[in-house]
Amino acid sequence: MNPRVFVTGAVEGPVDEAVLRRLVSHVGSGVHRVHGKNGKAALLRSLNGYNYAAERSPWVVLVDLDNDPECPPEFRRKWLPQPARWMCFRVAVRAVEAWLLADREGIARFLRVSSALVPRDPESVPYPKRVLIELAARSRSSVIRQDLVPRPGSGREVGPAYTSRMTEFALYVWRPEVAEGSSESLRRALVCLRRLVASAEPVR
Amino acid sequence: MSRSSSGRAQALQFTHIYLENWKNFLKVDTALQQRVFLVGPNASGKSNLLDVFRFLRDLVTVGGGFQEAVRRRGGVSAVRCLAARKHSHVTVRVSIGSRSNPAEWVYELQFSQVAKRPSVQRERIVRNGETLLDRPNSDDEADPERLTQTYLEQVNVNKDFRQVADFFASVRYLHVVPQLVREPERSVGKENDPYGGDLLEQIARTPERKCKTRLTQIQDALVVAVPQLKELELFRDERGTPHLRGRYVHWRPKGAWQYEDQLSDGTLRLFGLLWVVLDGHGPLLLEEPELSLHPEVVRHIPQMLGRVQRKTGRQLLMSTHSVDLLRDKGIGLDEVLLLKPGREGTAVFPASSLADVHALLAGGVGLDEIVIAETAPYQVEQLSFFGDRR
Repeated sequence: MNPRVFVTGAVEGPVDEAVLRRLVSHVGSGVHRVHGKNGKAALLRSLNGYNYAAERSPWVVLVDLDNDPECPPEFRRKWLPQPARWMCFRVAVRAVEAWLLADREGIARFLRVSSALVPRDPESVPYPKRVLIELAARSRSSVIRQDLVPRPGSGREVGPAYTSRMTEFALYVWRPEVAEGSSESLRRALVCLRRLVASAEPVR
Repeated sequence: MSRSSSGRAQALQFTHIYLENWKNFLKVDTALQQRVFLVGPNASGKSNLLDVFRFLRDLVTVGGGFQEAVRRRGGVSAVRCLAARKHSHVTVRVSIGSRSNPAEWVYELQFSQVAKRPSVQRERIVRNGETLLDRPNSDDEADPERLTQTYLEQVNVNKDFRQVADFFASVRYLHVVPQLVREPERSVGKENDPYGGDLLEQIARTPERKCKTRLTQIQDALVVAVPQLKELELFRDERGTPHLRGRYVHWRPKGAWQYEDQLSDGTLRLFGLLWVVLDGHGPLLLEEPELSLHPEVVRHIPQMLGRVQRKTGRQLLMSTHSVDLLRDKGIGLDEVLLLKPGREGTAVFPASSLADVHALLAGGVGLDEIVIAETAPYQVEQLSFFGDRR
């Protein structure tokens, strides 16, 4: 691990950014800056540019598989047939929220629900974000319910402070070392990140 | 303010608004959520819609009253909608309540110009379905001079509905103009200047402990947006004038203090925004809170406000043009009111009423994109031809 190596990231949105920052610090490095944050389509549109830049410096691009029919390796080959030297392009199955659910005890404590309610195999959940909201709806804490669960009539998938709460969880509570035990796509992402940080040359 | 069993703070709020002939609007009839974002092209009437709530405040505050509130707005003819033809009156009707009882109160005021003076045509107050006041009454018929005032503004007759008057008085409007914060002498003598002229004075008058706690809280939030800033302090100079200063780190080992006249527009505006959301409990009106701020700061504003509101129960109504702000996925479709100008005045409707909004969102289109496309000015591309027009 080289503490002087900084990576540049690109993600779909603010919660993904928090996950990325937590993962990079977990492998002993730092984030230089984060691109994207404007949805999956925009991220994939810019992927070529990120890949060019990754010829010269380490990059991590994080994207949700969602309900695409491919498996992650196929998905990666389709969108990035020739990854650059320092490109770590990772796909979360089915979404980054599944990685958060994979720390069962952590998320249960944070959401104030019984850990028995948290799915054991988060990668098999088709819509992990919905599971998070359903869990929050059963929270013993009214604060969690108000922040995370959408009001009837709001017409949105998440409550008014879902993003801010999940960012808080990802940065300060979530344990990647625990979560990787029940998420294969997260385990692989960490392997890739460690390799990236170890192989990349220091900034100076 | 009371607390419900769920722990949510239950402050009173405006839950519905009905207008006739108010400035840009021939008619408005829409529900209001605890948080409201007004989106529309320039001059569509966003500020004029917020002004309804300031008008209600002016009705009941010291130095205000019905006559003064209309005079401040240039008289009935200036308040009345230009598109109005049939009716010469202006109607403002608001429901006030909480989420569990949205129409605890209804206040209605209808007025027009009679014998060169603003005159009350109707004033009605209903509480939980029971009419407490309905004017004109027999006293008004006997003495029409009484119609130059509302009952609401008169302490000797408003006892039964003073809660409404107090609620209107609790409305707060802040639109910080950084230059006015920097040069407070421009606003000498102004109390509660909505443009921030006496903001530092107001802060300095806050009880010391409360002031200190809030400034620490604001400092912790501000340093995120302004990373070089390390410390924030309010003090009075030898003449008693309050000043704000921030310590910045740079090559000097101890950093350097900068005073309000050196702080950036963005720093002052964010400071003002954070102060005002913590100060008070009545509805807060904000004009374009995104001004002068970096987009990455702006995109976190709705979440910040959402969490503050959960604690305080305070209603927030704001105008915005910001894509970054509207990108937030926690903003309810019923919280966004779209303003669309037309020949018959500006129409106001919630984003939830757009026919295709749910399909677009489900397909991954952002609310920001939908709302900005819906409210874009007609033939806006013509502006780009300006340089070659004669």
